[in-house]
Formats: sequence, C-alpha cells, structure tokens
Amino acid sequence: MSQQASSRSNRTGAHPRNCWYAVATSAQVSREPLGRRVLDTGVVLFRTTDGTAVALEDRCAHRPYPLSLGRVDGDRIVSGYTGFAYDARGFCVHVPTQSEIPVGARVRAFPVQEDGTFVWVWLGKPALAGLRRPATTPWLTDSEWATLGDEWETEADLLLLHENFADITHVAVVDPYIAPPVLRSSPPPLEVEVTETTVSFSRTYQPAPIPAWQAELLGLPAEAEHVQREQGAFLTPGLWVDRWDVYVESAPKQNEVYTFRFAHAVTPISPGRTRHAWRVSRNFALGEQAGKVLLPIFTDYYQRVKRILETMQRVLDTDGPRREVNVSADAAALQVRKIIRNMVADETGSGHRGAALQASRAPGGR
Amino acid sequence: MTITQTIVREHEADLVVREAQTVANGVVALTLSAPDGVELPAWTPGAHVDFVLNDDLIRQYSLCSSPSKLDAWRVGVLRAPDSRGGSQRVHDLFTPGTIVRVRGPRNHFPLVASRRYLFIAGGIGITPLLPMIAEAEAAGADWRLLYGGRERASMAFLDELAQYGDRVMIVPQDEQGMLDLESALGTPEVDTLVYCCGPEGLLSAVEKFCERWPAGALHLERFSAKPQEPVTEAESSFELVLQRSGLTLEVPAEKSVLTVIREAGVSVLASCLEGVCGTCETEVVDGDVDHRDSILNEEERASNEYMMVCVSRCRSPRLTLDL
Repeated sequence: MSQQASSRSNRTGAHPRNCWYAVATSAQVSREPLGRRVLDTGVVLFRTTDGTAVALEDRCAHRPYPLSLGRVDGDRIVSGYTGFAYDARGFCVHVPTQSEIPVGARVRAFPVQEDGTFVWVWLGKPALAGLRRPATTPWLTDSEWATLGDEWETEADLLLLHENFADITHVAVVDPYIAPPVLRSSPPPLEVEVTETTVSFSRTYQPAPIPAWQAELLGLPAEAEHVQREQGAFLTPGLWVDRWDVYVESAPKQNEVYTFRFAHAVTPISPGRTRHAWRVSRNFALGEQAGKVLLPIFTDYYQRVKRILETMQRVLDTDGPRREVNVSADAAALQVRKIIRNMVADETGSGHRGAALQASRAPGGR
Repeated sequence: MTITQTIVREHEADLVVREAQTVANGVVALTLSAPDGVELPAWTPGAHVDFVLNDDLIRQYSLCSSPSKLDAWRVGVLRAPDSRGGSQRVHDLFTPGTIVRVRGPRNHFPLVASRRYLFIAGGIGITPLLPMIAEAEAAGADWRLLYGGRERASMAFLDELAQYGDRVMIVPQDEQGMLDLESALGTPEVDTLVYCCGPEGLLSAVEKFCERWPAGALHLERFSAKPQEPVTEAESSFELVLQRSGLTLEVPAEKSVLTVIREAGVSVLASCLEGVCGTCETEVVDGDVDHRDSILNEEERASNEYMMVCVSRCRSPRLTLDL
C-alpha cells in the first residue's frame, strides 16, 4: 500500500511543456544576453535592433558553450568562444574560419510573447504555441493600479508553489502581521469552480477588521469592520492570480471597493526548483510612499513562504513523498493537481492518461 | 471547530448565440460568446460543454472551433429525432441572440501526443475531431481521417476538411457503403493512436477491431451510455468512507454512490449521471470498484485509482474515496 500511496502523491516533478512560461520580465531582457534555465533547458534571451525579444537555446551548436556568455551584434548573437553568429531564428549565419555555413548549423528558437510585464516563452512543441495563448494580467500595465513586486528562485517544485496559492488559510499561521484578521477565524464556505484548464475559488467573509497597516493606508479606523472577499485562480501551470477585496460601507468612503490583485508567474527551472515572479497591485494609495510601506511587508511574507516551501522540498527529497492527508479546504489544490497531471500525461503519452501517468511515476522521477 | 464547507462546481455561464448556420442537412453550427464579449475559459481539442436546456435536459456538444480563439466557441448540433427533444429544441429555437446556459468545458477525449493518428468519424462525430486534426497537422504528425456519413449532403464541415487533400477519406454510405474498418484497422500499428467518435454501431465495431491493438491505442468518445450487460444479481449494499470529510456512510442497493455522497451534504461534481461525461471522476483510496461507466478503459479500470461515482459501485464491503 505504501508504494502505491507514494506513487499517487502526484509529486513526480513532471511539468507540462506545452505552456507559456514567464522566463524573464520585459525589463530584464535587453541588448545584453540573458541566460535562464527553464524546464531543464538553457535559454538565452536578448532583443534585436527593433526591440523584439528573442529566445534561443543557450548552447552554441559548435562547442558546448552558452550563448548567454557571448554578445549581441545587431540582430545576431555571437558565441563568446567560437565566434559562431546566430540570427533571431537560431540559424547560424557566420562562422569565423570559413565562408560556407555548415549545413544544419542552428540552435532551437523558442516562440516568444510579451505583454508589457513578462516575456513568455514556449518550450513545448513549437507548432502548438500558435494554438494556445498566454494568460493575461492587464492590470499590471494599467495606470489605475499601482504595482510592486520582486522575483527570485525558490528551491521547491512548481506544484508546491501552486498548492500554496490554492489555499491561503495558512497565511494567518505564517505571518500574523500581514494576515487579514478574518483568516484567524473559521473560514466561510469555499466555492471552487473548475474548467478543463483552470481552477478558481472564492470566499466571502462576514464584516471584520482589516489589517492595521491596510487601515492606516486607507485612512480608515482600525476597528471598523468590512465585508471582504477572496478570489484566486489557477490560469495555467505558469500563472496564478488572486485578489482580496475590501467593501467599505461606512462614511467617508462609502461604497468603495479597495482591492489588492496578486499575480504569480511561476516557471519550472527543473524538478524541485522554480522561478517565482510576484506582483501585488492595488487600486488605492497609488503614491510612491504607500509602495515604500507595502514592499517590505509583502517581501517579508513571500520570503517566509519561500523558506517554508524550500523546507517542504527538502523533506520530500530526504524522506520521499507519502500519501498526504487532504482536508476539505484542499479542494482547489486537488483540482490543480489533476489538471497538471493530465497535461503531463497527454504530452508524454504514446498511451492514454493512465499509462502516461504510470510512466511519469517511474523510479527516478521525484 | 467548524468544518469548512466546500462547494465544487463546474464553470457555468449564460452565452449568446452569435451565429446559427446550417452546415449540412440536419446539422446546425452555433457560434457562442459571452454577452459582454469577455474571453471564455481555455480548452484543448476533444473538449465538450453541456447545454443546460432545463434542469433535466442537458446535452453534451464537442467544441469544434480553434482553441486559440477564446472570444467564441463553436459547436455542431445534429437534429436527432430519437433524442428527448434537446437537439430539436436547439434546431427549432436557437437563432442569433438566443441565450443558452453552458457548463464546462471539460475534456475526456484529450489528444495525446503521437507521431501518427488515425481519426475515424461517423456523422456528427466529426466535431471533436476537427480541432484535433488541426493540431495534429500543426504538430507535423502523420494522420488520416476516415469520415463516414449517410449521404454527402448530411456530412458537416466537408469544406473545412478539403484543405487537407488526400489525408481525408470521405465515405458517404449511399455512394460507397460503410467505412472499410477492416483495411483501416485490420493490421495493428504500434505507434498510431486511433481516435473515434460517432454512433454506437461504429464505436463498438472500432472497439472490436482495436482489441488486437496495443493497450491505450484507442481513444473514443460516447455521448450516450455504452450498452451494459444486464445486472443479473440484485445490487448489494456497502459501506462508504469519505476520507477528507471524515464521514462513514451506507450505500443501499437502490441508491448510487453519488446520491449517498450528496445526501450527506458533501460537494462533488457530476453532470450526465449515466457514466459518459466523466465529470464525477473521483479518486479511490481503497475498495474493489465495480466499474460501470463508458469512459475508463481496461487499464484504467484495473488500476482502481479512479471511479465515476454516478454509476459505478463496489464489490468489497467497504469503499473509501478521497472526498
């Protein structure tokens, strides 16, 4: 039973490839090459002279040297060792030692889409990129919203990050300062809505105070009680979004809704390792001063989450996965697992979902 | 300590019929979008939605537009004289502007990655295969389509299939007889996946041929329950443990597992209630499941990991589910 139980934990470390992942932020991609690792693949990013972001395999076709250690020359990237030059399609267009270009000398070029915040790269079957769209986060570039955030690598698997986003009832335990006080009481009914590719959930809380730091920013009395609503959505394996609405019904801010929106772009680097770019947007206290107050509060919280997830990953690595006890509040997380599991099965399978699942659980997987 | 109450449901929305176009004799193609034009949930080839026509009239239709188009969905609906009036209602009453309650999408007919595909469509069964074909073509797979129908004029989407040339074999029964399954499926191929959708006669015939094919090669979709062997013995009762909810219940002979779960106030997704749509798929922790659905294949049944709680039961005295 224990063998079967562990195989069912879904902690295989297998990740969907046919998905848009945010490999870098738009600001990070420039005329200087940027090397990133995604799905166990080296990717080099740079911009051509007209500003277009390009993503190529980060390995010269001639010798195993990363192109990201070379330089950008016009619309080409030139290896810092061999001097081989590649165009934006990944074709070798110049070899220093001869005039003929060796037949077939090229590196993989990955489809890229940019939305003003993130550079989304597709490492799956290139032809399928055109048939799927990256999920969008338009508020991140909307002037009605003020946004702050950061990004880093977390030594924990993609699935652990998604499961963390899928249930925020732990916030009160992890960081009592940031947590809305309602999270300390027993939660109201959780409503989970699923489609083939997405999971969303919502909870509406009875009137309760908001955190002291938020009341201060809003100029509201700390003890005032407001209806609050929490919503979260798994949009793709690469993007989680959520929001926290505070409904103010008393004067002087009657009928205002103050909202935090959260975007988490998560990108698997390898099994057990994930790039996490988080953004917190607000439709109130838009000024810089408020940002200076909020950034350390949210940075501290997400750093705590990072350390906890890294600890979980170490336990998994050391002791192996086990069948975990699920509770009712895990409903959204379980649906997310199912979607990710099915995506992996459909991509890897020469067989059906069941068979592919068994294959992906073969020893050696995590 | 109060127990967290959790409600899990599928996405549901009122959509507007934007176009209703007759695309073959007895087949209407509907284009649907949100009243405010917002994007609809993403889906992949093989997905279907429910039309909730009223509380007990729910019909499933495959999405047959492109998954890259998120502002509208398209379905193809055959006027089926023997149905409970669902398709008649769609044909007679649905015009541009009609509002329809749509649940889903969900997908129990996913296109698994492969180098080679054999697609077999009977009549309106072409609908889920259209986006699959587009995807197989884009991925550079080697594929063929056998498409049978009563007569050419009743076969929808022939114009859209014309671009694929001789990968597509159109077989109107009145001109060429039945699909030649013997030559298509008579010799099993190791690296070809077979995708079939159509009337029960075609599905059963293809299933029969594919018995000799590698396990997992055949993928098919039914929109009505597979004919079941009549149950000769009386149904037995068994104990039902819902692990996450911490409940132990009794499933009497005359009630389904789903009914008992719902009566206990535990939220579980379900839609067709006859084991064809796969919505109520539930993880099995323990118990010898008596599978009676039309979705899981032999291998999936044998793994005993999932069951459709709307129709399947348990042979052992206790069934434990992850609910």
